[in-house]
Amino acid sequence: MTWIFENLGRVFLAFVATTGRLFLFLLQALNQGLRPPYYGRQILRQIWEIGYLSLPVVGLTALFTGMVLALQSYTGFSRFNAENAIANVVVLSMTRELGPVLAGLMVAGRIGAAMAAEIGTMRVTEQIDALTTLSTNPQKYLIMPRLFAGITMLPFLVVVADIIGIFGGYCVSVYRLGFNASLYLEQTLNFVEIQDVTSGLIKAAVFGFIISLMGCYHGFTSKGGAQGVGKATTHAVVSASILILVANYILTSLLFEQGVS
Amino acid sequence: MTPKFSLKNLHKTFGTHSVLRGINLEIFPGESLVIIGGSGTGKSVLFKCLLGLMQADSGVLEMDGKNILKENAQENEDRLKDIGVVFQGSALFDSLTVWENVAFRLLYAERRGRQESKKIALQKLAAVGLKKNVADLYPSEISGGMARRVALARAIASQPQVLFFDEPTSGLDPIFSSTINQLIKKSVKELGVTALTITHDMTSARVIGDRIAVLYEGKIIWCGPAKDINKSDNPYVQQFIQGRPD
Ligand SMILES: Nc1ncnc2c1ncn2[C@@H]1O[C@H](COP(=O)(O)OP(=O)(O)O)[C@@H](O)[C@H]1O
Ligand SMILES: [Mg+2]
Repeated sequence: MTWIFENLGRVFLAFVATTGRLFLFLLQALNQGLRPPYYGRQILRQIWEIGYLSLPVVGLTALFTGMVLALQSYTGFSRFNAENAIANVVVLSMTRELGPVLAGLMVAGRIGAAMAAEIGTMRVTEQIDALTTLSTNPQKYLIMPRLFAGITMLPFLVVVADIIGIFGGYCVSVYRLGFNASLYLEQTLNFVEIQDVTSGLIKAAVFGFIISLMGCYHGFTSKGGAQGVGKATTHAVVSASILILVANYILTSLLFEQGVS
Repeated sequence: MTPKFSLKNLHKTFGTHSVLRGINLEIFPGESLVIIGGSGTGKSVLFKCLLGLMQADSGVLEMDGKNILKENAQENEDRLKDIGVVFQGSALFDSLTVWENVAFRLLYAERRGRQESKKIALQKLAAVGLKKNVADLYPSEISGGMARRVALARAIASQPQVLFFDEPTSGLDPIFSSTINQLIKKSVKELGVTALTITHDMTSARVIGDRIAVLYEGKIIWCGPAKDINKSDNPYVQQFIQGRPD
């Protein structure tokens, strides 16, 4: 019997220790990174990687999700003659939930992994030590640009995802299910409220922060050659994905209580 | 004469694994000292302690007579301005071109213009025997031997007073190793710097070093002029020179 408690205790202690290390890492990164110098080139490169190069993945995900949403709500709603609510369902689900969460998860896979692999490789090949000896603070040079780009680019990607998802739902409704095009658009625009969009964007910024933080932390603390880097990459993606889902619930309930939702 | 570096009874332990067990060593200005020892004896750990990339646990560690064991980040940054480092695997930045690597400190720490920095980088590349056409390549596009030269060019780019080399010849073929050895020797003499080299390669140690220190089981067991090492009667030093197995 005792082994259960022993293992539970061990897991709990490991959890507390990791949380503590993560918090210290973040404090150090902010303490160093918020002060100049800022590395414009690095920031632009991350904005390009996260914002621009994620567009195809996020766009495709949003397009098909919007299309499926329209089909499924048609199937469901036609049973009680509420087909007209399709536009509402699509726009609400996309802006408030699916846009941010799906974009977050896709980018976690793409960018979280890339960050952990790149920074982890730099760690095990002593490139991070080399940065320090060349009078360049690794927190400023590596971590801050990624955190900044993550926080700012995810909301941008979500705006794009929202628009493409709604467009996907529109295409299916109009060309497949035979809805009236202008009526569908009118319904969408009348129904959606600014809070629906902003709550999604707030979530996106938080998810972007989570993705960058996990990628940087696991990369920065990786050790033990190629195998260590592989582990760091896996940990970055898994922990970012889980944290995104947890944060999504917490944020939804917070925004809900504030009456924003 | 004040030593450039002075180490007294320096200790470093990882968990229960005691790596440095009381290092005593002095490195004097203008000399080239080589620390030699087998793999896993803690050479890189000692190297990192001297650079402040790792904190030694106890003992005295001084540079120019100033204690650097408990320096803060700012003091470390200021001190490292005068030190050029070549790491074990070259440690070039993959996302930057060769010339940007060489000019890294000029570009990112000193914030000089790209044109001016490139000009200096090309001079340094020439100084280590590399042609202009490698300047715009990426580190993944050049050989290991060339990468080592680029790393040396990066280390000397901002005219440091001290040069550090961690296993400068590891992973290179014998011919290239001797080229790099000669290059290090030449750079050290021309620049008049203090040099510290860490290696497990006896040939390299004899070429580069004015003095040699032998690291074994966490301590310096022999230290003296390079030409005298054959006269040492320490059995481990003898074994190391002759390359006998245990
Ligand atoms: N960060 C670290 N954490 C734990 N052990 C370490 C660390 N760095 C080095 N060691 C241990 O210290 C010993 C010496 O390593 P190192 O200095 O890299 O050897 P070498 O002389 O080949 O350069 C090794 O046994 C290694 O396992
Ligand atoms: Mg080593």
